[in-house]
Amino acid sequence: MRDFTWRWEAMPHYYRVFLDGLSVTIQLSVAVFCFAIVGGMLIGIARHSERRILNWPATAFIEIFRNTPILVQLVWFYYALPVVLDQHIDGFSSAVIAIGCNTMAYFAEIFRAGIQSVERGRWEAGYALGMHYPQVMRRIVLPLTVRRMLPAFANRVVEAVKGTSLASTIAVGDLMFRGQELANTIYMPFEVYTVVAGMYFLAIYPLILASYWLERRLALTNGVTL
Amino acid sequence: MKNGNFGSTKGQSGHDDPILKVSNLHKSFGALHVLKGVDMEVRRGQVICLIGSSGSGKSTFLRCLNFMDHPSAGIIQFRGKTIGSESGKLDGVATYRYKESELAQLRTHVGMVFQQFNLFPHMTVMQNVMEGPKTVLKVGRAEATARAEENLRKVGLLEKANEYPSRLSGGQQQRVAIARSLAMKPDVMLFDEITSSLDPELVGEVLGVVRKLAEDGMTMISVTHELGFAYHCANHVMFLHQGKILEEGSPDQVLKNPNAERTKRFLDGFTGFYF
Repeated sequence: MRDFTWRWEAMPHYYRVFLDGLSVTIQLSVAVFCFAIVGGMLIGIARHSERRILNWPATAFIEIFRNTPILVQLVWFYYALPVVLDQHIDGFSSAVIAIGCNTMAYFAEIFRAGIQSVERGRWEAGYALGMHYPQVMRRIVLPLTVRRMLPAFANRVVEAVKGTSLASTIAVGDLMFRGQELANTIYMPFEVYTVVAGMYFLAIYPLILASYWLERRLALTNGVTL
Repeated sequence: MKNGNFGSTKGQSGHDDPILKVSNLHKSFGALHVLKGVDMEVRRGQVICLIGSSGSGKSTFLRCLNFMDHPSAGIIQFRGKTIGSESGKLDGVATYRYKESELAQLRTHVGMVFQQFNLFPHMTVMQNVMEGPKTVLKVGRAEATARAEENLRKVGLLEKANEYPSRLSGGQQQRVAIARSLAMKPDVMLFDEITSSLDPELVGEVLGVVRKLAEDGMTMISVTHELGFAYHCANHVMFLHQGKILEEGSPDQVLKNPNAERTKRFLDGFTGFYF
Protein backbone atom coordinates (compact mmCIF):
# COMPACT_ATOMS: atom_id res chain seq x y z
CA MET A 1 0.00 0.00 0.00
CA ARG A 2 3.02 2.26 0.48
CA ASP A 3 3.24 3.67 -3.03
CA PHE A 4 -0.43 3.41 -3.78
CA THR A 5 -2.27 6.57 -4.74
CA TRP A 6 -6.03 6.56 -4.63
CA ARG A 7 -7.49 8.14 -7.71
CA TRP A 8 -11.06 8.84 -6.72
CA GLU A 9 -11.26 11.78 -9.08
CA ALA A 10 -11.41 9.35 -12.00
CA MET A 11 -14.59 7.66 -10.77
CA PRO A 12 -17.18 10.34 -11.70
CA HIS A 13 -16.19 9.92 -15.35
CA TYR A 14 -17.63 6.45 -15.29
CA TYR A 15 -20.88 7.22 -13.50
CA ARG A 16 -22.92 5.97 -16.44
CA VAL A 17 -21.29 2.55 -16.23
CA PHE A 18 -22.14 2.29 -12.54
CA LEU A 19 -25.68 3.54 -13.02
CA ASP A 20 -26.31 1.15 -15.92
CA GLY A 21 -25.08 -1.70 -13.76
CA LEU A 22 -27.18 -0.59 -10.83
CA SER A 23 -30.22 -0.37 -13.05
CA VAL A 24 -29.76 -3.98 -14.17
CA THR A 25 -29.22 -5.05 -10.55
CA ILE A 26 -32.48 -3.37 -9.55
CA GLN A 27 -34.38 -4.91 -12.47
CA LEU A 28 -32.97 -8.30 -11.59
CA SER A 29 -33.87 -7.89 -7.92
CA VAL A 30 -37.43 -6.80 -8.66
CA ALA A 31 -37.94 -9.70 -11.07
CA VAL A 32 -36.49 -12.19 -8.58
CA PHE A 33 -38.67 -10.79 -5.81
CA CYS A 34 -41.91 -10.96 -7.81
CA PHE A 35 -41.15 -14.45 -9.05
CA ALA A 36 -40.11 -15.70 -5.61
CA ILE A 37 -42.92 -14.20 -3.53
CA VAL A 38 -45.74 -15.69 -5.60
CA GLY A 39 -44.05 -19.07 -5.89
CA GLY A 40 -42.88 -19.01 -2.28
CA MET A 41 -46.40 -18.43 -1.02
CA LEU A 42 -47.85 -21.26 -3.11
CA ILE A 43 -45.05 -23.68 -2.21
CA GLY A 44 -45.28 -22.65 1.46
CA ILE A 45 -49.01 -23.42 1.44
CA ALA A 46 -48.38 -26.72 -0.34
CA ARG A 47 -45.68 -27.56 2.21
CA HIS A 48 -48.14 -26.94 5.02
CA SER A 49 -50.77 -29.14 3.37
CA GLU A 50 -51.45 -32.59 4.75
CA ARG A 51 -51.92 -33.95 1.24
CA ARG A 52 -48.84 -35.79 0.10
CA ILE A 53 -49.38 -34.89 -3.52
CA LEU A 54 -48.81 -31.26 -2.56
CA ASN A 55 -46.50 -31.70 0.37
CA TRP A 56 -43.89 -33.98 -1.16
CA PRO A 57 -43.05 -32.00 -4.31
CA ALA A 58 -42.96 -28.80 -2.26
CA THR A 59 -40.57 -30.37 0.24
CA ALA A 60 -38.38 -31.73 -2.55
CA PHE A 61 -38.20 -28.32 -4.23
CA ILE A 62 -37.29 -26.57 -0.99
CA GLU A 63 -34.64 -29.07 0.00
CA ILE A 64 -32.99 -29.15 -3.44
CA PHE A 65 -32.64 -25.39 -3.53
CA ARG A 66 -31.56 -25.01 0.06
CA ASN A 67 -28.97 -27.74 -0.08
CA THR A 68 -27.07 -26.82 -3.20
CA PRO A 69 -24.93 -23.68 -3.71
CA ILE A 70 -26.67 -20.81 -5.42
CA LEU A 71 -23.71 -20.38 -7.78
CA VAL A 72 -24.09 -23.98 -8.94
CA GLN A 73 -27.81 -23.42 -9.47
CA LEU A 74 -27.07 -20.33 -11.51
CA VAL A 75 -24.58 -22.05 -13.75
CA TRP A 76 -26.87 -25.06 -14.10
CA PHE A 77 -29.82 -22.94 -15.23
CA TYR A 78 -27.59 -21.05 -17.64
CA TYR A 79 -25.79 -23.98 -19.26
CA ALA A 80 -27.90 -27.08 -18.61
CA LEU A 81 -31.50 -25.89 -18.76
CA PRO A 82 -31.27 -24.63 -22.37
CA VAL A 83 -30.06 -28.10 -23.36
CA VAL A 84 -32.86 -29.83 -21.45
CA LEU A 85 -35.52 -27.56 -22.91
CA ASP A 86 -33.79 -27.27 -26.27
CA GLN A 87 -34.37 -23.54 -26.17
CA HIS A 88 -32.10 -20.54 -25.82
CA ILE A 89 -32.38 -18.78 -22.48
CA ASP A 90 -30.54 -15.50 -22.02
CA GLY A 91 -28.40 -14.75 -19.00
CA PHE A 92 -30.87 -12.38 -17.38
CA SER A 93 -33.72 -14.93 -17.53
CA SER A 94 -31.46 -17.71 -16.24
CA ALA A 95 -30.46 -15.50 -13.33
CA VAL A 96 -34.09 -14.65 -12.53
CA ILE A 97 -35.05 -18.32 -12.56
CA ALA A 98 -32.05 -19.54 -10.56
CA ILE A 99 -31.88 -16.82 -7.91
CA GLY A 100 -35.67 -16.70 -7.93
CA CYS A 101 -36.01 -20.42 -7.24
CA ASN A 102 -33.42 -20.26 -4.51
CA THR A 103 -35.16 -17.30 -2.85
CA MET A 104 -38.52 -19.01 -3.41
CA ALA A 105 -37.37 -22.02 -1.40
CA TYR A 106 -36.48 -19.80 1.56
CA PHE A 107 -39.65 -17.72 1.21
CA ALA A 108 -41.67 -20.95 1.18
CA GLU A 109 -40.17 -22.02 4.50
CA ILE A 110 -40.87 -18.61 5.99
CA PHE A 111 -44.47 -18.77 4.79
CA ARG A 112 -44.86 -22.30 6.13
CA ALA A 113 -43.51 -21.37 9.55
CA GLY A 114 -45.77 -18.32 9.60
CA ILE A 115 -48.83 -20.31 8.61
CA GLN A 116 -48.05 -22.89 11.27
CA SER A 117 -47.77 -20.20 13.90
CA VAL A 118 -51.40 -19.16 13.43
CA GLU A 119 -53.34 -20.74 16.30
CA ARG A 120 -55.76 -23.54 15.52
CA GLY A 121 -58.57 -21.48 17.05
CA ARG A 122 -58.28 -18.74 14.44
CA TRP A 123 -58.66 -21.25 11.63
CA GLU A 124 -61.63 -22.77 13.40
CA ALA A 125 -63.26 -19.39 13.91
CA GLY A 126 -63.09 -18.92 10.13
CA TYR A 127 -64.45 -22.36 9.38
CA ALA A 128 -67.20 -21.89 11.97
CA LEU A 129 -68.44 -18.88 9.98
CA GLY A 130 -68.79 -21.15 6.96
CA MET A 131 -65.57 -20.15 5.21
CA HIS A 132 -63.81 -22.48 2.81
CA TYR A 133 -60.09 -23.22 3.09
CA PRO A 134 -59.04 -20.58 0.54
CA GLN A 135 -61.12 -17.94 2.32
CA VAL A 136 -59.65 -18.80 5.71
CA MET A 137 -56.19 -18.68 4.14
CA ARG A 138 -56.72 -15.38 2.33
CA ARG A 139 -58.74 -13.48 4.93
CA ILE A 140 -57.27 -14.72 8.20
CA VAL A 141 -54.16 -16.86 8.05
CA LEU A 142 -52.06 -15.05 5.44
CA PRO A 143 -52.66 -11.54 6.83
CA LEU A 144 -51.50 -12.78 10.24
CA THR A 145 -48.64 -14.73 8.69
CA VAL A 146 -47.30 -11.77 6.71
CA ARG A 147 -47.07 -9.62 9.83
CA ARG A 148 -45.28 -12.31 11.78
CA MET A 149 -42.81 -13.24 9.07
CA LEU A 150 -41.75 -9.71 8.19
CA PRO A 151 -38.33 -9.70 9.91
CA ALA A 152 -37.31 -13.07 8.46
CA PHE A 153 -38.70 -11.98 5.16
CA ALA A 154 -36.74 -8.71 5.06
CA ASN A 155 -33.55 -10.64 5.76
CA ARG A 156 -34.19 -12.90 2.84
CA VAL A 157 -34.95 -10.05 0.46
CA VAL A 158 -31.60 -8.50 1.32
CA GLU A 159 -29.87 -11.83 0.72
CA ALA A 160 -31.58 -12.06 -2.64
CA VAL A 161 -30.48 -8.59 -3.72
CA LYS A 162 -26.91 -9.37 -2.73
CA GLY A 163 -27.23 -12.73 -4.43
CA THR A 164 -27.93 -11.05 -7.76
CA SER A 165 -24.24 -10.10 -7.89
CA LEU A 166 -23.57 -13.74 -8.75
CA ALA A 167 -25.33 -13.17 -12.06
CA SER A 168 -22.14 -11.42 -13.15
CA THR A 169 -20.58 -14.88 -13.54
CA ILE A 170 -22.93 -15.64 -16.43
CA ALA A 171 -22.31 -12.28 -18.11
CA VAL A 172 -25.44 -10.47 -16.97
CA GLY A 173 -24.52 -6.79 -17.06
CA ASP A 174 -25.37 -6.00 -13.44
CA LEU A 175 -23.52 -3.67 -11.11
CA MET A 176 -20.94 -6.30 -10.20
CA PHE A 177 -20.34 -7.26 -13.82
CA ARG A 178 -19.98 -3.69 -15.02
CA GLY A 179 -17.63 -3.02 -12.13
CA GLN A 180 -15.44 -5.97 -13.07
CA GLU A 181 -15.34 -4.86 -16.69
CA LEU A 182 -14.44 -1.35 -15.72
CA ALA A 183 -11.79 -2.41 -13.21
CA ASN A 184 -10.13 -4.59 -15.83
CA THR A 185 -10.24 -1.81 -18.39
CA ILE A 186 -8.89 1.11 -16.39
CA TYR A 187 -6.81 -0.89 -13.86
CA MET A 188 -8.35 0.69 -10.81
CA PRO A 189 -9.84 -2.27 -8.92
CA PHE A 190 -9.68 -0.66 -5.45
CA GLU A 191 -11.58 2.44 -6.42
CA VAL A 192 -14.07 0.68 -8.65
CA TYR A 193 -14.98 -2.08 -6.19
CA THR A 194 -15.27 0.42 -3.36
CA VAL A 195 -17.77 2.39 -5.40
CA VAL A 196 -19.58 -0.83 -6.29
CA ALA A 197 -19.81 -1.82 -2.62
CA GLY A 198 -21.03 1.65 -1.69
CA MET A 199 -23.72 1.51 -4.31
CA TYR A 200 -24.94 -1.91 -3.10
CA PHE A 201 -25.10 -0.47 0.40
CA LEU A 202 -27.10 2.53 -0.74
CA ALA A 203 -29.50 0.24 -2.59
CA ILE A 204 -29.99 -2.23 0.26
CA TYR A 205 -29.97 -0.09 3.39
CA PRO A 206 -33.27 1.65 2.52
CA LEU A 207 -34.85 -1.82 2.30
CA ILE A 208 -33.80 -2.52 5.87
CA LEU A 209 -35.12 0.85 7.01
CA ALA A 210 -38.38 0.19 5.19
CA SER A 211 -38.81 -3.14 6.91
CA TYR A 212 -38.27 -1.54 10.35
CA TRP A 213 -40.83 1.10 9.49
CA LEU A 214 -43.34 -1.46 8.23
CA GLU A 215 -42.90 -3.59 11.33
CA ARG A 216 -43.57 -0.65 13.60
CA ARG A 217 -46.56 0.42 11.57
CA LEU A 218 -48.15 -3.02 11.59
CA ALA A 219 -47.56 -3.33 15.32
CA LEU A 220 -49.30 0.01 15.87
CA THR A 221 -52.39 -0.78 13.85
CA ASN A 222 -52.81 -4.04 15.67
CA GLY A 223 -52.53 -3.06 19.26
CA VAL A 224 -50.22 -5.18 21.32
CA THR A 225 -50.56 -8.82 20.48
CA LEU A 226 -51.19 -10.67 17.26
CA MET B 1 -84.79 -36.64 24.85
CA LYS B 2 -85.39 -40.13 23.64
CA ASN B 3 -87.98 -40.24 26.37
CA GLY B 4 -89.88 -37.40 24.78
CA ASN B 5 -89.40 -35.32 27.87
CA PHE B 6 -90.37 -31.76 26.94
CA GLY B 7 -92.29 -30.97 30.10
CA SER B 8 -90.42 -27.80 30.96
CA THR B 9 -89.92 -26.25 27.54
CA LYS B 10 -89.80 -22.53 28.19
CA GLY B 11 -88.94 -21.19 24.77
CA GLN B 12 -91.16 -20.93 21.75
CA SER B 13 -91.42 -24.49 20.46
CA GLY B 14 -93.23 -24.09 17.19
CA HIS B 15 -93.71 -26.93 14.77
CA ASP B 16 -92.36 -30.20 16.00
CA ASP B 17 -89.72 -31.04 13.40
CA PRO B 18 -86.31 -30.96 15.02
CA ILE B 19 -83.79 -28.51 13.51
CA LEU B 20 -80.98 -30.80 14.49
CA LYS B 21 -81.21 -34.52 15.08
CA VAL B 22 -78.31 -36.70 16.18
CA SER B 23 -78.52 -40.49 16.24
CA ASN B 24 -76.02 -42.88 17.74
CA LEU B 25 -73.04 -40.56 17.35
CA HIS B 26 -69.60 -42.04 17.86
CA LYS B 27 -66.26 -40.29 17.87
CA SER B 28 -62.81 -41.76 18.36
CA PHE B 29 -59.42 -40.09 18.37
CA GLY B 30 -57.14 -42.97 17.44
CA ALA B 31 -57.71 -45.66 20.05
CA LEU B 32 -59.55 -43.28 22.35
CA HIS B 33 -63.31 -43.81 22.09
CA VAL B 34 -64.68 -40.45 23.25
CA LEU B 35 -68.34 -40.57 22.22
CA LYS B 36 -70.10 -43.90 22.49
CA GLY B 37 -73.46 -43.44 20.90
CA VAL B 38 -75.12 -40.10 21.70
CA ASP B 39 -78.64 -39.13 20.60
CA MET B 40 -80.19 -35.70 20.63
CA GLU B 41 -83.04 -33.74 19.10
CA VAL B 42 -83.05 -29.97 19.02
CA ARG B 43 -86.25 -28.06 18.34
CA ARG B 44 -86.65 -24.41 17.51
CA GLY B 45 -86.26 -22.15 20.52
CA GLN B 46 -84.82 -24.83 22.76
CA VAL B 47 -81.98 -24.06 25.12
CA ILE B 48 -80.00 -27.18 25.84
CA CYS B 49 -77.16 -27.35 28.34
CA LEU B 50 -74.58 -30.11 28.27
CA ILE B 51 -72.93 -30.75 31.59
CA GLY B 52 -70.44 -33.32 32.81
CA SER B 53 -66.95 -33.59 34.19
CA SER B 54 -63.94 -32.86 31.98
CA GLY B 55 -63.18 -35.73 29.65
CA SER B 56 -66.83 -36.75 29.50
CA GLY B 57 -66.94 -35.86 25.80
CA LYS B 58 -69.29 -32.89 26.00
CA SER B 59 -67.05 -30.48 24.09
CA THR B 60 -66.25 -33.13 21.49
CA PHE B 61 -69.95 -33.75 21.05
CA LEU B 62 -70.62 -30.06 20.53
CA ARG B 63 -67.74 -29.78 18.05
CA CYS B 64 -69.20 -32.67 16.07
CA LEU B 65 -72.45 -30.77 15.63
CA ASN B 66 -70.82 -28.26 13.26
CA PHE B 67 -68.11 -30.68 12.17
CA MET B 68 -65.15 -28.92 13.75
CA ASP B 69 -64.46 -32.58 14.54
CA HIS B 70 -65.84 -35.15 12.14
CA PRO B 71 -67.93 -37.89 13.75
CA SER B 72 -66.50 -41.39 13.37
CA ALA B 73 -69.95 -42.93 12.96
CA GLY B 74 -73.60 -42.04 13.43
CA ILE B 75 -76.08 -39.68 11.83
CA ILE B 76 -76.43 -35.92 12.06
CA GLN B 77 -79.49 -34.44 10.38
CA PHE B 78 -80.06 -30.75 9.88
CA ARG B 79 -83.66 -29.80 9.12
CA GLY B 80 -84.39 -33.39 8.18
CA LYS B 81 -81.45 -33.69 5.79
CA THR B 82 -78.67 -36.12 6.64
CA ILE B 83 -75.24 -34.52 6.41
CA GLY B 84 -72.69 -36.42 4.31
CA SER B 85 -73.08 -39.55 2.23
CA GLU B 86 -73.00 -43.02 3.71
CA SER B 87 -69.62 -44.65 3.23
CA GLY B 88 -69.73 -47.88 5.23
CA LYS B 89 -70.13 -49.31 8.68
CA LEU B 90 -68.05 -49.17 11.84
CA ASP B 91 -69.00 -51.80 14.42
CA GLY B 92 -72.45 -51.90 12.87
CA VAL B 93 -72.97 -48.12 12.89
CA ALA B 94 -73.18 -46.23 9.61
CA THR B 95 -70.22 -44.00 8.76
CA TYR B 96 -70.36 -40.98 6.52
CA ARG B 97 -68.08 -39.15 4.15
CA TYR B 98 -68.36 -35.38 4.29
CA LYS B 99 -67.87 -32.83 1.55
CA GLU B 100 -66.22 -29.60 2.65
CA SER B 101 -68.69 -27.53 0.63
CA GLU B 102 -71.65 -29.15 2.39
CA LEU B 103 -70.06 -28.60 5.79
CA ALA B 104 -69.29 -24.96 5.01
CA GLN B 105 -72.91 -24.50 3.96
CA LEU B 106 -74.13 -26.12 7.20
CA ARG B 107 -71.86 -23.93 9.31
CA THR B 108 -73.53 -20.79 7.98
CA HIS B 109 -76.66 -22.05 9.79
CA VAL B 110 -74.96 -23.35 12.93
CA GLY B 111 -72.98 -20.65 14.72
CA MET B 112 -70.25 -21.41 17.22
CA VAL B 113 -68.61 -19.46 20.02
CA PHE B 114 -65.36 -20.78 21.48
CA GLN B 115 -63.82 -20.84 24.90
CA GLN B 116 -60.85 -18.82 23.64
CA PHE B 117 -62.93 -16.20 21.72
CA ASN B 118 -60.74 -16.59 18.63
CA LEU B 119 -61.38 -13.13 17.28
CA PHE B 120 -59.40 -12.08 14.22
CA PRO B 121 -56.69 -9.90 15.77
CA HIS B 122 -55.86 -7.99 12.58
CA MET B 123 -59.41 -6.71 12.21
CA THR B 124 -61.33 -4.18 14.25
CA VAL B 125 -64.38 -5.25 16.23
CA MET B 126 -66.59 -3.99 13.40
CA GLN B 127 -64.57 -5.82 10.75
CA ASN B 128 -64.70 -9.01 12.82
CA VAL B 129 -68.48 -8.94 12.88
CA MET B 130 -68.77 -7.96 9.21
CA GLU B 131 -66.38 -10.65 8.03
CA GLY B 132 -68.82 -13.58 7.88
CA PRO B 133 -71.66 -11.80 6.09
CA LYS B 134 -69.21 -10.13 3.68
CA THR B 135 -66.89 -13.01 2.81
CA VAL B 136 -69.22 -15.98 3.20
CA LEU B 137 -72.72 -14.70 2.53
CA LYS B 138 -71.47 -12.09 0.03
CA VAL B 139 -73.89 -9.45 1.28
CA GLY B 140 -73.21 -5.84 0.32
CA ARG B 141 -71.22 -3.47 2.47
CA ALA B 142 -74.27 -1.55 3.69
CA GLU B 143 -76.06 -4.72 4.72
CA ALA B 144 -72.95 -6.12 6.45
CA THR B 145 -72.50 -2.84 8.33
CA ALA B 146 -76.14 -2.81 9.38
CA ARG B 147 -75.94 -6.40 10.64
CA ALA B 148 -72.73 -5.68 12.52
CA GLU B 149 -74.16 -2.58 14.18
CA GLU B 150 -77.36 -4.39 15.14
CA ASN B 151 -75.51 -7.27 16.75
CA LEU B 152 -72.88 -5.14 18.44
CA ARG B 153 -75.72 -3.14 19.95
CA LYS B 154 -77.29 -6.38 21.10
CA VAL B 155 -74.14 -7.33 23.01
CA GLY B 156 -73.66 -3.76 24.21
CA LEU B 157 -70.39 -3.02 22.42
CA LEU B 158 -71.28 -0.72 19.57
CA GLU B 159 -69.09 2.00 21.05
CA LYS B 160 -66.07 -0.33 20.71
CA ALA B 161 -66.68 -0.89 16.99
CA ASN B 162 -63.39 0.66 15.90
CA GLU B 163 -61.16 -0.91 18.55
CA TYR B 164 -58.89 -3.86 17.92
CA PRO B 165 -59.65 -7.01 19.94
CA SER B 166 -56.40 -6.76 21.91
CA ARG B 167 -57.73 -3.56 23.48
CA LEU B 168 -60.78 -5.32 24.93
CA SER B 169 -61.27 -7.30 28.12
CA GLY B 170 -61.94 -11.03 27.91
CA GLY B 171 -65.63 -10.53 28.56
CA GLN B 172 -65.86 -7.90 25.84
CA GLN B 173 -63.97 -10.09 23.39
CA GLN B 174 -66.35 -12.93 24.04
CA ARG B 175 -69.36 -10.68 23.48
CA VAL B 176 -67.86 -9.59 20.15
CA ALA B 177 -67.41 -13.27 19.28
CA ILE B 178 -71.10 -13.81 20.01
CA ALA B 179 -72.03 -10.84 17.82
CA ARG B 180 -69.78 -12.15 15.04
CA SER B 181 -71.60 -15.45 15.12
CA LEU B 182 -75.05 -13.85 15.31
CA ALA B 183 -74.34 -11.69 12.26
CA MET B 184 -74.65 -14.85 10.18
CA LYS B 185 -78.26 -15.18 11.37
CA PRO B 186 -77.77 -18.80 12.38
CA ASP B 187 -80.61 -21.20 13.22
CA VAL B 188 -78.70 -22.72 16.11
CA MET B 189 -75.89 -21.40 18.28
CA LEU B 190 -73.27 -23.63 19.87
CA PHE B 191 -71.49 -22.33 22.95
CA ASP B 192 -68.36 -24.21 23.93
CA GLU B 193 -67.56 -23.34 27.56
CA ILE B 194 -67.66 -19.69 26.64
CA THR B 195 -67.04 -18.42 30.17
CA SER B 196 -64.36 -20.89 31.21
CA SER B 197 -61.38 -18.72 30.36
CA LEU B 198 -62.83 -15.54 31.84
CA ASP B 199 -62.07 -13.87 35.15
CA PRO B 200 -64.97 -14.53 37.53
CA GLU B 201 -66.15 -10.93 37.51
CA LEU B 202 -66.47 -11.00 33.70
CA VAL B 203 -68.61 -14.14 33.55
CA GLY B 204 -71.81 -12.28 34.37
CA GLU B 205 -71.74 -9.88 31.41
CA VAL B 206 -71.32 -12.76 28.95
CA LEU B 207 -74.00 -14.93 30.52
CA GLY B 208 -76.29 -11.91 30.57
CA VAL B 209 -75.98 -11.62 26.79
CA VAL B 210 -76.62 -15.34 26.32
CA ARG B 211 -79.61 -15.28 28.64
CA LYS B 212 -81.13 -12.43 26.66
CA LEU B 213 -80.61 -14.37 23.44
CA ALA B 214 -82.38 -17.33 24.99
CA GLU B 215 -85.28 -15.12 26.01
CA ASP B 216 -85.48 -13.81 22.46
CA GLY B 217 -86.03 -17.37 21.30
CA MET B 218 -82.59 -18.26 19.90
CA THR B 219 -82.05 -22.01 19.71
CA MET B 220 -78.85 -22.89 21.49
CA ILE B 221 -76.75 -25.72 22.79
CA SER B 222 -74.30 -24.82 25.49
CA VAL B 223 -71.50 -26.77 27.09
CA THR B 224 -71.15 -25.17 30.48
CA HIS B 225 -69.91 -25.42 34.01
CA GLU B 226 -72.25 -22.63 35.09
CA LEU B 227 -74.95 -24.73 36.67
CA GLY B 228 -76.87 -21.65 37.80
CA PHE B 229 -77.07 -20.59 34.18
CA ALA B 230 -78.15 -24.08 33.16
CA TYR B 231 -80.84 -24.11 35.79
CA HIS B 232 -82.31 -20.72 34.93
CA CYS B 233 -81.94 -20.63 31.15
CA ALA B 234 -82.04 -24.16 29.84
CA ASN B 235 -85.19 -26.08 29.15
CA HIS B 236 -83.29 -29.29 28.71
CA VAL B 237 -80.16 -30.49 30.49
CA MET B 238 -78.04 -33.44 29.41
CA PHE B 239 -75.46 -35.01 31.70
CA LEU B 240 -72.66 -36.72 29.81
CA HIS B 241 -70.47 -39.33 31.41
CA GLN B 242 -67.76 -41.35 29.67
CA GLY B 243 -69.09 -40.58 26.21
CA LYS B 244 -72.72 -41.39 26.89
CA ILE B 245 -75.77 -39.50 28.08
CA LEU B 246 -76.28 -40.74 31.58
CA GLU B 247 -79.22 -38.58 32.39
CA GLU B 248 -81.31 -35.90 30.71
CA GLY B 249 -84.45 -33.95 31.28
CA SER B 250 -85.66 -30.66 32.66
CA PRO B 251 -83.22 -28.61 34.76
CA ASP B 252 -85.36 -29.32 37.81
CA GLN B 253 -85.15 -33.01 37.27
CA VAL B 254 -81.48 -33.33 36.36
CA LEU B 255 -80.00 -30.64 38.61
CA LYS B 256 -82.24 -30.96 41.64
CA ASN B 257 -83.48 -34.53 41.66
CA PRO B 258 -81.00 -36.57 39.67
CA ASN B 259 -81.64 -40.28 39.40
CA ALA B 260 -78.18 -41.54 38.59
CA GLU B 261 -75.64 -41.90 41.35
CA ARG B 262 -72.93 -40.46 39.09
CA THR B 263 -74.95 -37.32 38.42
CA LYS B 264 -75.44 -36.79 42.14
CA ARG B 265 -71.73 -37.10 42.77
CA PHE B 266 -70.96 -34.66 39.96
CA LEU B 267 -73.42 -32.11 41.35
CA ASP B 268 -72.07 -32.53 44.87
CA GLY B 269 -68.79 -31.16 43.55
CA PHE B 270 -70.54 -27.83 42.91
CA THR B 271 -71.17 -26.25 46.25
CA GLY B 272 -70.90 -22.66 45.18
CA PHE B 273 -73.97 -22.18 43.04
CA TYR B 274 -77.50 -21.41 44.02
CA PHE B 275 -80.78 -22.07 42.27
